[in-house]
Amino acid sequence: MNGRIKISVIAAGAVVGILATALTVLGNPANMGFCIACFIRDIAGALKLHSAKPVQYFRPEIVGLVAGSMIMSLGYKEFRPRAGSSPATRFVLGAFVMMGALVFLGCPLRMVIRMGGGDLNAFVGLAGFFAGILTGIFFLKKGFTLKRAYEVKGTEGFAVPGVLILMFILFLLVPSIFALSEEGPGSRYAPVLVSLAAGLIVGALSQRSRLCMVGGMRDAVMFRDFNLLSGFAVIFITVLLGNIITGSFTGFSTLSQPVSHSSQLWNFLGMALAGWGSVLLGGCPLRQLILTGEGNGDSGVTVLGMLMGTALSHNFGLAGSADSVTDGVYKVGGISTAGKATVFTGFAVLLVISITNCRSKK
Amino acid sequence: MTTDNGPCVIVTFHTTAEAMATEKICRKNEIEGRLISVPRNLSADCGIAWKGPKKTRKRLEEALETNRIEFDGVYEMVF
Repeated sequence: MNGRIKISVIAAGAVVGILATALTVLGNPANMGFCIACFIRDIAGALKLHSAKPVQYFRPEIVGLVAGSMIMSLGYKEFRPRAGSSPATRFVLGAFVMMGALVFLGCPLRMVIRMGGGDLNAFVGLAGFFAGILTGIFFLKKGFTLKRAYEVKGTEGFAVPGVLILMFILFLLVPSIFALSEEGPGSRYAPVLVSLAAGLIVGALSQRSRLCMVGGMRDAVMFRDFNLLSGFAVIFITVLLGNIITGSFTGFSTLSQPVSHSSQLWNFLGMALAGWGSVLLGGCPLRQLILTGEGNGDSGVTVLGMLMGTALSHNFGLAGSADSVTDGVYKVGGISTAGKATVFTGFAVLLVISITNCRSKK
Repeated sequence: MTTDNGPCVIVTFHTTAEAMATEKICRKNEIEGRLISVPRNLSADCGIAWKGPKKTRKRLEEALETNRIEFDGVYEMVF
């Protein structure tokens, strides 16, 4: 094994796991203490970018993640406004990563949280995510690059975090102008200030530890360095213990899992799309938020692409629907024909982006 | 192979592609070392760096220049 397991990564993983459990106990949907895809989707709904009424809420956790990273990076003089690394391509990649994640019903972080909640469907998602990462690594080894970023003025680095924070302040002052769910996952949330504080803490710790599911798997596969991946192993263990302690763990199963479906092919393919796209972007959705907080304009554009991706998913019925029980009959969820077509379109788009951005040999 | 925990030279890059190209060039020129995740004390970025024994620094820099590899920084440290 190369590299050392760092205490900061272990600590960050433990705190994320504890806070994810606490947020669920305090009101967030089950197995959704943190989910970048779900929360950005909810924000898209709150901003009326999509019209799916059950998933509309301005999630303070997202604001906290970006702000926490920004505060920490400013404090440690690591706030570096940079941009110019294929922003339009990153926007498209961000959108497809979210579409893939919403087919599965969760980002890589929620995938681990779902695993800790006993959801075996998430293990299928993990297999797909790993396959997507291996595909991405194949193209990295072929010389894939979105070209380098350059230093830019401070305003560029503050642009996306600033807009996000201002929108959140507006949400606190005049919530009535936002769309807010009255039922469904969007109507279930922890107290605003608790959610914000949890986001700030996780954002700060993620900035210091560089916690990233994609980076973790990339390092494990390419360098046999398990440092970053260890953070997610700790999240899994902590959430599992948290669920056992709070009495919400009922064993491992594929059936009747919260906000989850058991259409395994699409769990696999959805996360494969998210994994491949995330490798091309250089980080998972959580990492894109953290980099946005560090002043990375390209990641800011990626987050905007993610916002667009979630809105498209719900406006056009591309996202997965959870398994449900109707009149005592268990109904397996899954995705629509349009959703399936989108996954394959996503693979085609990623293939084109991967091939056309491989640099010529030196 | 590089001795871990000893004095070494570390090269950081703007892109993963430059790191990959460096690995190929070093293999071709029989320059000792390997790719690693960028050390946290050097950067908040989670990119890829090249790590080799300190004694290879001159040959490494020559190879980077000859092959026009654009790098971010070269550091000597115990890692």
